Amino acid sequence: MNRREFAKLGLVAGAVGIGGIPLGLTRAAGQTSGGTLNTIIQPEPPILVTALNQQQPTLTLGGKIYESLLRYDFDLKPIPGLAQSWEVSPDGLIYTFKLFPNITFHDGTPLTADDVIFSVTKMLMETHARARGTFARVDSAEAPDPHTVVFRLKTPFAPFLGAFDCTTAPIVPKHIYDGTDYRKNPANAQAIGCGPFKLKEWVRGSHVHLVKHEGYYRPGEPHLDEIIYRVIPDSASRSVALEQGTVQLTQWTDVEAFDVQRLSKLPNLDMTTKGYEFFAPHQWLELNNRIAPMNDKRFRQAVMYAIDRKALLTRVFFGLGKVATGPVSSKTRFYEKDVKQYEYSLDKAKALLDDMGLKPGADGKRVTIPYLVPPYGEIYQRSAEFLRQSLGRVGIDLQLQGIDLAGWAEKCSNWDFSMTMNLVYQFGDPALGVSRTYITSNIRKGILFSNTAGYSNPEVDRLFEEAAVATSDAKRQELYSAVQKLLVEEIPIVWLVEQDYANFIDKKLKNVITTAIGVHETFGTVSLG
Amino acid sequence: MSIIALDAKGGRGVAVVLAIAGWLAKFVAVVLVIATFNFVLVHAAPGDPAQVIAGQSGSADAKLLSQLRAEYGLDKPYPVQLATYLKRILTLDLGFSYRQQRPVLSLLLERLPATLLLTGTAFLLALLVGVVLGTLAGVRAGTWSDTLFTVLSLLLYAMPVFWLGLMLVLLFSVKLEWLPAFGYVTIGVEMTPLQHIRDIASHLLLPAVSLAAVYLAIYARLMRSSVIEVTHQDFIKTARAKGLKQPRIIARHILRNAILPVVTVAGMQAGALVGGAVVIETVFAWPGLGRLTYDAVLQRDYPVMLGVFLAMSIIVIVLNLVTDAIYRLIDPRVSLRAAS
Amino acid sequence: MDTLKAFLRHPTGMIGLVILVAVVALAATAPALFPDDPWDMIGAPFQPPLSEGLWLGSDMLGRDVAAGIAYGARVSLLIGVASTLAAVFVGVVIGAIAGYFGGRVDEVMMRVTELFQTIPGFILAILLVTTLGPTLTNVIVAIGAVSWPPLARLTRAEFLRLRGREFVQAAVCQGQPPFAVVLRHILPNAISPIIVTGSLTIATAILIESALSFMGLGDPNLMSWGFMIGASRTVMRQAWWMSVFPGIAILLTVLAINLVGEGLNDTLNPRIARRVRTA
Repeated sequence: MNRREFAKLGLVAGAVGIGGIPLGLTRAAGQTSGGTLNTIIQPEPPILVTALNQQQPTLTLGGKIYESLLRYDFDLKPIPGLAQSWEVSPDGLIYTFKLFPNITFHDGTPLTADDVIFSVTKMLMETHARARGTFARVDSAEAPDPHTVVFRLKTPFAPFLGAFDCTTAPIVPKHIYDGTDYRKNPANAQAIGCGPFKLKEWVRGSHVHLVKHEGYYRPGEPHLDEIIYRVIPDSASRSVALEQGTVQLTQWTDVEAFDVQRLSKLPNLDMTTKGYEFFAPHQWLELNNRIAPMNDKRFRQAVMYAIDRKALLTRVFFGLGKVATGPVSSKTRFYEKDVKQYEYSLDKAKALLDDMGLKPGADGKRVTIPYLVPPYGEIYQRSAEFLRQSLGRVGIDLQLQGIDLAGWAEKCSNWDFSMTMNLVYQFGDPALGVSRTYITSNIRKGILFSNTAGYSNPEVDRLFEEAAVATSDAKRQELYSAVQKLLVEEIPIVWLVEQDYANFIDKKLKNVITTAIGVHETFGTVSLG
Repeated sequence: MSIIALDAKGGRGVAVVLAIAGWLAKFVAVVLVIATFNFVLVHAAPGDPAQVIAGQSGSADAKLLSQLRAEYGLDKPYPVQLATYLKRILTLDLGFSYRQQRPVLSLLLERLPATLLLTGTAFLLALLVGVVLGTLAGVRAGTWSDTLFTVLSLLLYAMPVFWLGLMLVLLFSVKLEWLPAFGYVTIGVEMTPLQHIRDIASHLLLPAVSLAAVYLAIYARLMRSSVIEVTHQDFIKTARAKGLKQPRIIARHILRNAILPVVTVAGMQAGALVGGAVVIETVFAWPGLGRLTYDAVLQRDYPVMLGVFLAMSIIVIVLNLVTDAIYRLIDPRVSLRAAS
Repeated sequence: MDTLKAFLRHPTGMIGLVILVAVVALAATAPALFPDDPWDMIGAPFQPPLSEGLWLGSDMLGRDVAAGIAYGARVSLLIGVASTLAAVFVGVVIGAIAGYFGGRVDEVMMRVTELFQTIPGFILAILLVTTLGPTLTNVIVAIGAVSWPPLARLTRAEFLRLRGREFVQAAVCQGQPPFAVVLRHILPNAISPIIVTGSLTIATAILIESALSFMGLGDPNLMSWGFMIGASRTVMRQAWWMSVFPGIAILLTVLAINLVGEGLNDTLNPRIARRVRTA
């Protein structure tokens, strides 16, 4: 190696920044406390303040730093978070939360009801679009004492209790944010919350280093001393890191779907798909109901019959998931499985298309439809190819259109598309994550993940609205079952797959996935050995 | 490009100054034109970054979108955006990246060393090895080793650069496990500086070789024909007649004269080499500007896209400067820049 | 016809021609050899080569690799030739204007050409395809837009050389308009090196197209060799045949074109052979 190369490398090594990253696990013999967890964050989040940014990586990392009033078990029932107990008045309008007494922020200031009220009614209303949708229903908020919060709603809204996880309603320090420009507040760099871990250091492009918050309100927690989130942009490198034990935990799409089976066989790792029940991502084929032939129910049903969803799940998703049966995921509350079944049948599809008057031409094609391929990765590309072949067999000719992220968002939200694929989260309750796709009042141009398909049915609107404000679970189930049956008959969009994601967890780790938000949880109970 | 004839040492000094001034002028002009060109092109396309940022947070609404638009200056008319952009470039302010939440300049500077390392290594590798192989083939013209050389260089020249990279990975990383398949460094392992350098070198080898291969073939073949041509010239025959030994002849006379066209071509190929770095960085997950290009394109991250194209073009200009300097070094008697 | 005979006797040129004819034949007979759509998922995924009915194996969705290569030949050749025609058109026009008129016009044209050669061409192509959208037409336009500079330089050099020749000056003195002078006197004499460089440009165009498709920026409805290699990247461990065979196809095609081009070069213009190769 000549001098020039050497000097260049010196430049480079300095720029990258060498040591200082603790290696792997430090095992304290016989005890369950202490140690460092190494995991991955992909892609690197833009900031860590979850109140200001709700992109996936921010939420995953931010859950350790910011807590909310409640947590939810795998059946989506609320369990204590910052609130040790809570009450709902019989008329469903008054919610009273009692906080734990000894909660402190990372800068030592105690957390009180004022911080909760500030976060929910002021800051999140401005910065968190999804939270705003729920908290706009709050009429007033009071703090009769420093550890009690009382919310008064304008009308009953049963899902209100389901909106207090750390991704929806993170509690932030009022004394730092009140009266400031939230996004430009210099304290954002320190990410001051009340969770069991606080930010020690963030080396961009390399890693985020969290350490134990000594004043954490739950005794004995957190068990871990440190968590290190490593930034590894390349999927193959991430798999290698997992195999070699450099990281002990992965989530979401850190490991590519086709690699999951291979890595599941490794003896030192556990693989689980639990921990996403709150999000319950639903993959579907979105049809623009405003354009022919998609405005005809028969066409949409034909598409549903023509796609072998089991094969799609196996070939494209490598078996990670379940075939979707309707608008509500089987993991979300009030799921109704007794709906119309659409088995894979090319004959039924062709019959429906014939019935519509769409006869095949000389080349076998009945209609040509442009299809927008979402640029979110390989799965969408392969799905597009799969769908094209499937629909081609019944004479529907899909023309694939490649596009970039911003372009897709623009076209989809402005209804400038015929067919595309979409992945939407459900957030545990149909009123929070499902109804927004089907109700007329949510047909808003320019907004992604609204009712972009343009489906409008007053009966559906009525059922969803009543179910949202009904006060008994039995009543809500009745209404939601009715609306699911109706929607599955109408098929505004073609539901494909309830997608699963693999978490790989080193066998030495305990209590990683304990709630419905899985790895987004605080990790206060996680320990090594 | 100006051709300046030199006849004295003093003249040489003046010529250098003039050359550098010429370079600077070209530099600035190219930067401004590229910036304008890129800006116009990119903004002519459909798509709105505010949408993407908003869409990712769960449920966007108009209030959030206009908030984002105001914050990122997306609501000003294009000419105003462009004029401000140009003004800022000249003060080294390349803007702020929407997606990555950091200044573009810092992003570029962070990725620059990796790309410089890769393209620099590949460039030198191609030039040096190409020249050596080409010379050897040239002096052995007509022998079987020469034929072998021609066949190999023809094959290398026809290979898609990314495919060569993949094949090398398949052989050396997956099958033989001699070299790492991707990345810059081995993560999570503490290393001494020396180990660290060796680690980077082992990661650099495959990408640099893949990138260099095509150009190596070009330079080698060119060197070969150049050597053959020079060898047949009179002054070489004179040298032989004088009794000079072959190696001396090669080193002193043939090499010096034959290498000039190769250096010129190397300069002209610099643009292609830097472009090739984009694909190689993607294949090998090399954290440089090329990788950044692709990510920025996917995310429609305007400021980063513009910044990267600018930076890559500047690297090309720098490589041109290097080849010009080498040319002058080898033969200061001749013009500063060969007429094309 | 002398040139043709000379070419037929050129050994490497002939080898290139034979390979090229084979590729063209494959492209032409693809529907007959592989009646199914190459996108059809006819087999089990990840079948190795020489499995039943799948000579070169199948990919991750169970598609026939051999069919992909045959149909891919059509795409590569089509895009290669079309974008070269575009590049030749633009390059020759610019070079002709620069070389014929000289002076200020020449200066301006050359500055523009230099600019295009300084911007890394591939990056400009990426930029164009992303902006205009990844369709067949746009890919052709993008590749054409970055391939014309060498043709322009060459044309200009030829025009400069021929401009000063007597027969051209005679035509000008006769009062013939520039257009006629160019078409009737200069261009026919400049055509040989342009043909050679043009044919070599086809090879470069195919390489650029495969790189664009590899990165996912090609037309998603076209099964091209670059696309196949790009799709194979993440599953290289499981299915090496998905990346090896399409790559060999590109290699052979580009090699063949290069050999033919050099053969043409040697037979058409032995005099400026060296100059063309260094351009």
